[in-house]
Amino acid sequence: MNKTDKIILGLIFLGSIVAIFYPDTKPFRRIVQRHELLYEINKQGRYLTVDEAAQHIMEADPSYIFVDIRPPKEYAKYTINNAINVPFDSITSPSLTGLLDADVYTVVLFSNGSRKADEAWLILRSYDYHNIKVLKGGLNSWYRNILDPLPPDPKFSGKQAWKRYMFRKGAQVFFTGISPVGNKPASKPKKVAIPAVKHKKKEITGGCG
Amino acid sequence: MGPLYPEHLNPEYNLLIGFLIGIGFGFVLEASGFTNTRKLAGVFYGYDATVIKVFFTAAVTAMIGLFLMHQWGWIDIYKTFYPKTFWIPTLIGGAIMGLGFVIGGFCPGTSLSAASTGKIDAWYFIAGVFIGIFGFIFTYDFLWKNLRASGAMGKVNFPQWLGIKEGLWIFLFTVMAIASYVIYDKWVNWWKTNRLAQEDIDDLGL
Repeated sequence: MNKTDKIILGLIFLGSIVAIFYPDTKPFRRIVQRHELLYEINKQGRYLTVDEAAQHIMEADPSYIFVDIRPPKEYAKYTINNAINVPFDSITSPSLTGLLDADVYTVVLFSNGSRKADEAWLILRSYDYHNIKVLKGGLNSWYRNILDPLPPDPKFSGKQAWKRYMFRKGAQVFFTGISPVGNKPASKPKKVAIPAVKHKKKEITGGCG
Repeated sequence: MGPLYPEHLNPEYNLLIGFLIGIGFGFVLEASGFTNTRKLAGVFYGYDATVIKVFFTAAVTAMIGLFLMHQWGWIDIYKTFYPKTFWIPTLIGGAIMGLGFVIGGFCPGTSLSAASTGKIDAWYFIAGVFIGIFGFIFTYDFLWKNLRASGAMGKVNFPQWLGIKEGLWIFLFTVMAIASYVIYDKWVNWWKTNRLAQEDIDDLGL
């Protein structure tokens, strides 16, 4: 064993001693920079309209998860079909990371208006959660446009508006059970338990043999 | 390839980076004498400790380096790739690989860099590698299929498996590596002085 060997072995040994004093490794949670957040806020790409939301729910799109961030009391009264309740205070709790930060599906946050959901979006985005969206207008808009849509003004609206109205009328039947002819009482949407979703990141492939 | 600046570097550059790293790797293999079969096989016959030295140094340096760089926030170790563990096929495959190493005097990587220096035995070795590859492909369905999936342990590493702290495992493994190197080095010196004559050593070209 020559001198170089001894130096290298000494350095390696020193490094391993240093390693003992460090805690176990955890995946990085990047803090998103202010300018990035500002850019995304201005981009408005985070919004999902109630029409799009209704479309996804009616199609039973499994890649969308709707998260109600209102308090449990309000959630118990009414919520969107299959929505999960995560109160605003607990959105960053570690046990929910797997649910809210799963790359495989889109999480749509909503509250009564857009504002509270926007705040939740900002907090989650600043911790680098991905695929988070906000329901534009929240439940207020949901009620006005999907549950009780008004026909467009015949004087000022074109074909597009009527098409949208027809879609909303269809959605109204789907969500409230009110048939176009005659009125039946609306059935209460079913509550669902929070699914046990593990934190499943995309697996990295590659390497060599 | 690796998580090298994934936000700034186009994934298409991965191949280029791999190419450059490959050239560097081949150069170091050749420079440290790893294209010499007698030096490589020496670890099995007990007259050369280079292989054990290089592999343990590489493993331990990478282990400590990655761990500390992750702790300092330079690299996300969770974006590096390592395969799932199937212990039975790994054991059998390792035995076959070791046997090939003793008989042929190369491992797959060193055979390629030895071939690039024009060694004829390396070209024969590569031909053998391809015979092995195609032999595996054509006998896969009835010979290897069941074996390949046996002994699955999932994606696991030693500290998780043993349930100890990662830093402690790094320390223990380093002590083990250093001890094995020191002991092996002593043994090689004893072997060289007591069992090999000078002309043997000259003949081996060490």
